[in-house]
Amino acid sequence: MFVHVDPSNGIAIYDQIVRQVKFAVASDALKPGNLVPSVRELARDLTVNPNTVARAYRELQADNVLQPLRGTGLEITASAPKKCLADRAALIRSRLRSVLAEARQSGLAADEIRNLTEEELARIEPQRDPS
Amino acid sequence: MTAAFSLQNVTKRYRDQLALDDVTCSCEPGVVFALLGENGAGKTTAIKILLGLVDPTAGESSVLGLDSRRDSLEIRHRVGYVPDQPALYEWMTVDELGWFVGGFYPPGYQRHYNELVEHFELPPGRRIKELSRGMRAKVSLSVAMAHRPQLLILDEPTSGLDPMVRREFLESMVDIAAQGRTVILASHQIAEVERVADIVAILRHGKLVLLERLDALKDHVCEMTVTLRNGVPDLPNVPGTVLHRELKGRQWRLLVRNIDESQFDGFRVAENIRSVEVRRPSLEEIFVGYMKGEPAPEAPHELPTL
Repeated sequence: MFVHVDPSNGIAIYDQIVRQVKFAVASDALKPGNLVPSVRELARDLTVNPNTVARAYRELQADNVLQPLRGTGLEITASAPKKCLADRAALIRSRLRSVLAEARQSGLAADEIRNLTEEELARIEPQRDPS
Repeated sequence: MTAAFSLQNVTKRYRDQLALDDVTCSCEPGVVFALLGENGAGKTTAIKILLGLVDPTAGESSVLGLDSRRDSLEIRHRVGYVPDQPALYEWMTVDELGWFVGGFYPPGYQRHYNELVEHFELPPGRRIKELSRGMRAKVSLSVAMAHRPQLLILDEPTSGLDPMVRREFLESMVDIAAQGRTVILASHQIAEVERVADIVAILRHGKLVLLERLDALKDHVCEMTVTLRNGVPDLPNVPGTVLHRELKGRQWRLLVRNIDESQFDGFRVAENIRSVEVRRPSLEEIFVGYMKGEPAPEAPHELPTL
């Protein structure tokens, strides 16, 4: 799993880490039973404060995405994929919502927005991986 | 738990100049504490008061439970300090410096110093005066870290250094924080602060205008761009505390903290408002907002426990 942190992004760094771990699980880059890097390792890797990484891991544990594995580290839980897929969908929904709000504010009618959405969906649909 | 450091109502006056104005803040151990502010805002004065190098005009200061005035020597023994312009013995070699400074510390100093010199890839036999700026900074950091201090104080350690050296400084800070030790970092490199800080304090003209956990700050502050319908630049009541506002044509740009979600939807559709865009600003934008904002928009926020 590669984590990328953009400190000047308005989203707090711990939250960026949480999201990326969840996205990695949702896209199968991390599978149940896989270990995530230790707090210190990831903190060094990203040159971010270890407390920040620890906080991200605590949130992921509270969300049942990570669980401790007999003193060796933290692993992805069996229920993580389902949870992460749902979270990813929720995040995409909220992004979609802000784009729709922007479209409405720019004066587009609801039907025009629907047409645009359909057009764009049709554009990407054929390129989609059949698997 | 003893605070890593604490300033209680500290004021410092140089003749008619007020360098620090009733500053109160403290921080628990294991935290990276960033001190931001323009040149002359009082950052270095605050650090010197903590170390007992300068006496405050009023107020109390302590470090690791020791009184800055009374126990200055003991504090300097326990703390690592990298000043903005390190004064090193120019004629000594890198090796000799570690041997010399090690004489003031318990055994083990020189061994760890040598490890750091090796880690930073410094030439042990070269004289300090022949070192590049980046190397000098790394020597200064090695001197400050070799006794494994509980608290490391860095006063603009990386200004004027190249990105690779700055990266090494950051990595050292991350390591120290990972060991549960405390770092005070005064810096103008806001992007770096944003990476490593737990807590951010902003000094402006000697006053503490912000003291908050960085993640909470980023969660609580947003930037709004409000476009108005007609030429009257009146802004309805903003649901939150406005830190800074700026008007350009028919648009207001606002830096707002603690937006009240329940009132925000009403604000968005208020009569004179055409549109509201909300985004999360970077620490640099928040910093600039605090610097340009009306003085002391509100009292500094209480620090929640970690």
